[in-house]
Amino acid sequence: MAKITVDGATIEVADNSMLLPALLDHGVQIPHYCYHPKLSIDGSCRMCLVKVEGLPKLTISCNTPVRDGMVVDTIGPEVTKARQGVLELLLVNHPLDCPICDQAGECYLQDYAFEYGRRTARTQEPRRKLLKRVDVGPRVVLDQERCILCRRCVRFCKEITETRELGVFNLGDQSVVDIFPDEPLANDYSICTADICPVGALLSKDFHHKMRVWFLDETESVCPGCSNGCNVKIGAARGSVYRLLPRRNDDVNETWMCDAGRLGYRFINENRLRSPRSRRGSVLEATSWDDALHDAATQLSDLVRREGAAALAAIISPHLTNEELFTLDQLIADGLRIQQRDIAVVRSSFDDFLIKAEKAANARGARDLGLGAGSGDLDLAKIRDAIDAGTIRGLFVTGTDIWDIWGSDAERLLRRLETLVVVAPNEHPLVDLAHVVLPGMTFAEKNGSFTNVTGRVQRIHRALDPANQPSDGEVFIQLGRRLGMEITPGLFEPRKIFGEIGRQVTSYAGLTWDTLGNQGAPTREA
Amino acid sequence: MDTLGPLAILRGLVVTTSHFFRNLMGFLRGKPTIFTVQYPEELQKVSAAFRGMPVLAQMANGKERCVACGLCEWACPVDCITIYPAETEDEIERYPAVFDIDMSRCMFCGLCEEACPEEAIVMSQRVAIATTDWRGNIWHKRDLLVPVAELQTRLTHIRRGYDRSRAASTPVSLEKS
Repeated sequence: MAKITVDGATIEVADNSMLLPALLDHGVQIPHYCYHPKLSIDGSCRMCLVKVEGLPKLTISCNTPVRDGMVVDTIGPEVTKARQGVLELLLVNHPLDCPICDQAGECYLQDYAFEYGRRTARTQEPRRKLLKRVDVGPRVVLDQERCILCRRCVRFCKEITETRELGVFNLGDQSVVDIFPDEPLANDYSICTADICPVGALLSKDFHHKMRVWFLDETESVCPGCSNGCNVKIGAARGSVYRLLPRRNDDVNETWMCDAGRLGYRFINENRLRSPRSRRGSVLEATSWDDALHDAATQLSDLVRREGAAALAAIISPHLTNEELFTLDQLIADGLRIQQRDIAVVRSSFDDFLIKAEKAANARGARDLGLGAGSGDLDLAKIRDAIDAGTIRGLFVTGTDIWDIWGSDAERLLRRLETLVVVAPNEHPLVDLAHVVLPGMTFAEKNGSFTNVTGRVQRIHRALDPANQPSDGEVFIQLGRRLGMEITPGLFEPRKIFGEIGRQVTSYAGLTWDTLGNQGAPTREA
Repeated sequence: MDTLGPLAILRGLVVTTSHFFRNLMGFLRGKPTIFTVQYPEELQKVSAAFRGMPVLAQMANGKERCVACGLCEWACPVDCITIYPAETEDEIERYPAVFDIDMSRCMFCGLCEEACPEEAIVMSQRVAIATTDWRGNIWHKRDLLVPVAELQTRLTHIRRGYDRSRAASTPVSLEKS
């Protein structure tokens, strides 16, 4: 550790880092453009200039190593004048696009110009014209006029994805960022370039002209797309989710997330099941929660009473939180009194970076909590055979992933069943075949925890609160009551349930709700 | 005039009667001496500074000037403006797909007009916003469009306010330099 003096105050910082990240981690505001904690140092923007005593000129703090005893000035007149100068030069050719630019409200140029810039412009000549709305990739749009040439995007494509789609062409004041002919910016992480772009030059096409960022309430959560569990911020306004942005977590996703996960939020807003349904004859009718729960409990318990516990199986959704899964486990064991259950998780392509094969956030959590088929029990494949053979006559299904896993056989198999109770958030062909449908919630509407593929338990927070809709956990508890059992502790309280999990599951011992923080914590088997 | 006693009533009557006939004669001769404005055939004359309801300036090609930047929505102290932006293929790439003002909430303060960077929302001279149905309080984009030529008086007035606050917005970091 080294002791340095910054603006008169002495602080302790790591001695093997550059000055800028050391100051930023300490909460000191230093304006910067080209520096990014996960990319190489560029030193091109000159915005992070500070005065270090003993050095004849201002130095860029991003490339000045910390030395014990350093005296740094970040607020004196030399520094403020330098910042003002850099900003003035950047604004000479920057287009007056703020009213139509999506970056407004989270734009480094806007923010620094307000803090450190001149109040009036001294330019006389017209601004240079470059290409606007360039289609550089299927998910990203480029505006060359807004670009301040910090080269963060170029370094990202070179160092992180190693795909090198973007480059700076021409020289000097003719420099422009662009793609090579016929080689679009199409890698699986392309929208990260729009994240790191400090201005509105690179923008996500999905979010283009959709909502002003100052109307978005941002909530910390975890991406539901795969078992990597990238930390995200949910941006929601007016009852809908508008975007997902990655959050920094050095142990999970650094500061990145894949495009597929980022764009996988629309199901929160679209085709939602809002009221329960029950089958009357051949028609699935909307009905009250009371009636639907009654019907579900009756049909499931009747089947078990008539045909035995081997006639019913439960399909577990890997999208449920640990607390919901814990409650579901009790419902299955003590409420439905059946043994057969397995987790239905879709597996597809993965890469050597963030994208994992299991396309759900909590498959590991489900396994850790014992919801997978035990040895000697029927697994998903055997459950399927048993339905074909006629020994399994009913299913209690959570989530809709089983439809994709059983593919073209799904409809045929489900139609063979006497009883099909489904708990799911969205409209789906699976739901149309059910006898009782109970609406579920999405990850954006839950407080809970997910365990990622490496065994890291991470908190998710509720970003939206749909009125009059019970959470999945409450649905399980209510169903349990109608089956004649009381799932402890009575109300669905994730915090308490997580405490119970800590007591009952050895690998989760020692973890508490509060210690999970916003970066998560590993289980003992991580 | 204490000495008048009860005859003071007559003095008062003389004053009012004389005004009555003065006004009657003025009215009959077509030269009214009283201030009553014969609404709705006559309208009160208002100055350029008068703030009526906000309207959207419509350009010669029929489109709104508004680019759905959302500043008026944010500035509004009673949250009466709702904007949903959308993209166009034109040179001006952004426009409001939805621009609603809840006129029952609007307090005619003019902060939206002040915030607008495009002179797209302007306080008109209209104050007649009564409806017979509560839904009539929501004014949509098509209800708010007014050709920009009709708004010139107001625009001239608000332009006098530009640059007035330059001294007040010097950044703190440069106050001493």
